[in-house]
Amino acid sequence: MMRRQDRSLMDEPRWMSAGVKRWSLGLCVVSWVALVMGISPAMADDSVVNSKHDLSARGPGPIRAIHETEVCIFCHAPHNAAPQTPLWNRENPRLYYRIYQSSTLDARVDQPSGTSKMCLSCHDGSMALGNVLSRPQSQPIVMTSRTIPPGATDLTNDLSDDHPIGFRYDRVLSNRDRQIRPPEVVSRKLPLGPHGLMQCTTCHDPHNNELGNFLREPEQMSILCISCHDMKGWQHSSHALSSKRTTGRTVDPRERLKFHTVADNGCLNCHKIHSAPHRERLLRFNREENNCLNCHSGAVASFNIASEIGKRSGHDPRFRSGIHDPTERPFNMRRHVECVDCHNPHAARGNPIGRVQGTLGQLVRGENLHVSGVTINGLEIQDARYTYEVCFKCHADGVARPRVRTRRQVSQTNVRLEFQQSNPSFHPVAGPRRNPDVVSLIAPLRVGSVIGCIDCHNSDNSRFAGGSGANGPHGSIFAPLLVRNYDRDDFTMESSQAYSLCYGCHSRDSILNDESFSLHRFHIVDQRATCATCHDAHGIFRGQGNATNHGSLINFDLSIVQPANAPTGRRIEYRDTGRFSGSCTLTCHGQVHINFPYGSGSAPKTKLSGRSLFRGARR
Amino acid sequence: MNRIIVLVIAAGLVVTILSEWAPAGIEGSKHDLSNKAWSGGETCGACHSPHSAVPPKAAPLWNANADLTRTFGSAIGKTAQPGSSTRMCVRCHDGTVARDTVTGVIKARFINKQHPGLFSAGHGRTDHPVGVKYPQFDKGFRAETSVLAGGEVQLPNGRVECISCHDPHNQSGNPFMLVMSNARSALCLKCHRK
Repeated sequence: MMRRQDRSLMDEPRWMSAGVKRWSLGLCVVSWVALVMGISPAMADDSVVNSKHDLSARGPGPIRAIHETEVCIFCHAPHNAAPQTPLWNRENPRLYYRIYQSSTLDARVDQPSGTSKMCLSCHDGSMALGNVLSRPQSQPIVMTSRTIPPGATDLTNDLSDDHPIGFRYDRVLSNRDRQIRPPEVVSRKLPLGPHGLMQCTTCHDPHNNELGNFLREPEQMSILCISCHDMKGWQHSSHALSSKRTTGRTVDPRERLKFHTVADNGCLNCHKIHSAPHRERLLRFNREENNCLNCHSGAVASFNIASEIGKRSGHDPRFRSGIHDPTERPFNMRRHVECVDCHNPHAARGNPIGRVQGTLGQLVRGENLHVSGVTINGLEIQDARYTYEVCFKCHADGVARPRVRTRRQVSQTNVRLEFQQSNPSFHPVAGPRRNPDVVSLIAPLRVGSVIGCIDCHNSDNSRFAGGSGANGPHGSIFAPLLVRNYDRDDFTMESSQAYSLCYGCHSRDSILNDESFSLHRFHIVDQRATCATCHDAHGIFRGQGNATNHGSLINFDLSIVQPANAPTGRRIEYRDTGRFSGSCTLTCHGQVHINFPYGSGSAPKTKLSGRSLFRGARR
Repeated sequence: MNRIIVLVIAAGLVVTILSEWAPAGIEGSKHDLSNKAWSGGETCGACHSPHSAVPPKAAPLWNANADLTRTFGSAIGKTAQPGSSTRMCVRCHDGTVARDTVTGVIKARFINKQHPGLFSAGHGRTDHPVGVKYPQFDKGFRAETSVLAGGEVQLPNGRVECISCHDPHNQSGNPFMLVMSNARSALCLKCHRK
């Protein structure tokens, strides 16, 4: 018994009771840890200690000192500091920085100064982190990394891809740029430097990493950004409100956005505040359309626009890059199309109603809010009121406007002129037309209705056309970007399909029953002429034709209709002689018409030569 | 095995303590000037004298030769004239004031190297301000009570003076004669809420 006790006393784990041993072990560990930690007061999240700016040997980040235990000393020194306000312990960098430039920038951006220079003394990657003034240059603080390593925090001396700093943020600026808030209403949490200069420290608080990235206001829902930026229409835009998840983006599926929904990411969906790949306007992608297609390719946004723009006829923004500029003038810009030509991503909203035919159907709605345009009178305006004004930016007076492929009697490429309300005939896009002769209209359309460009020019797959895709002229399998099929080849067999574009508004029954032009059926069914052979869908500019020769959108297609040798000379002519009556002088399908009349009460003055044609033949 | 762990930890504890330990007290410190010829072998005489000390008498028997009436330049803004303790420090650590009473040779590391004699007590200069009222109601600073709670940091008359951070008698033996260890910048953060 005694021996056993002796042994137990000598045995190494039994020199004290197990409980006491465990307790003393714990005490040792705790006391050592406490000593190692410098018995510092409990540091909250809002302290620089234990933040990434804690570069001391016990700091949390990968960049830290090997031995130095002080936290402040990397930036501040109590004595012998640089003669700069917060007892600055570093030399200022002497680099020349490439500064931010943008065509829409109203501020005058200078080389960085003041506190920004202090930040850049580490964050431009040029100066050694351990090189502090409180130490001799030969004995800098030894760090795990001599300078800030290349990466997100290394801004380099190229600041043109970073949010501008070093400009004066004052009333002059906010007056010039209406999308910047006046400085006095900006949150007090975002202090400007001396002289009202915007500095790094306006957004960042180097001592407080509570919100991440040492920001002073949260990034969520872009609270930080919209403190200063007051983008027109942003508050109610889809990009500010959508709760759609940002997973499955197509252009950068791997890059992690900070938050998970479109609304939470806000500006960050498209913009990168530092080291942006597209410098001007700090966009996430260099090619303009990728900033949109990233989400609008089916996964994030409701509609897949990428599949639309690739169609046979489309506004494909991928053809040209680097041409669009928000300050461009519609009259002299180079030819291009980008998503932002028609959409304002800061203001665009969903359009749950879709498109409504009829009166006022052409008013600008959600998707085109706050987009610039050109009015029917040719004036540039900041906010288009009607959708056609957006179209007129490119399809009207611009020198780069698209050509027209069909050669007609009178040719006009300026769409704005084709839709003037004073024209002899036009489709009612810019205003109603009071022509009671249009008897074929399908309700709710009636004489006096107004339609929009996108009633005809729309995606073939759009909801408007009965499909499931996005509304709008993104792309269509029917050229030129038509919502439905519209055959223009000579000798087309008439069917509801062949002219389904026209039959969408103009009743096929009415047309084929000759309710207006008494020879409609004969021409398009029997002789297989197309609608486009005689009609020019947009309109005829008043400077090029009058109501007699170009009423009822008559403007013959010269590839099918040739002149006829009339007594008054070789010519093509249409004459309107009253309601539903007129006469033609032309050669078509080998048939020579010389003042060939039609309509009620009119007797043929001249017979058609060649094959006998008469109205009874069709019945 | 467990005993080995305990021993290792205990050894680590000792090593940690020793590494932070330095001889405390004024004797042997840089403020021990008894080895200078002019001091007559006295340690305290450079600053204190037992008799005929200068007013204010309440002060800790300042040496009679000390000139504590000097005003300082560059006192701007919130910075007031520093207290007598700071004036005493700056006698030596300034490079001009009463330096003859200490030594004819400027060897100390003066506060303002660029402009000896111009002790800039103001903010925005190269040295931490002294003589300033402790900014009790500033968001960036901790409450005065919590600063004084530990007993290390003093704020004479509610002002920040040299002796708020430095202990000229080197009682704790910290580097730069600090009143407490500045590991993890604990001393800085005693006041600064950063």
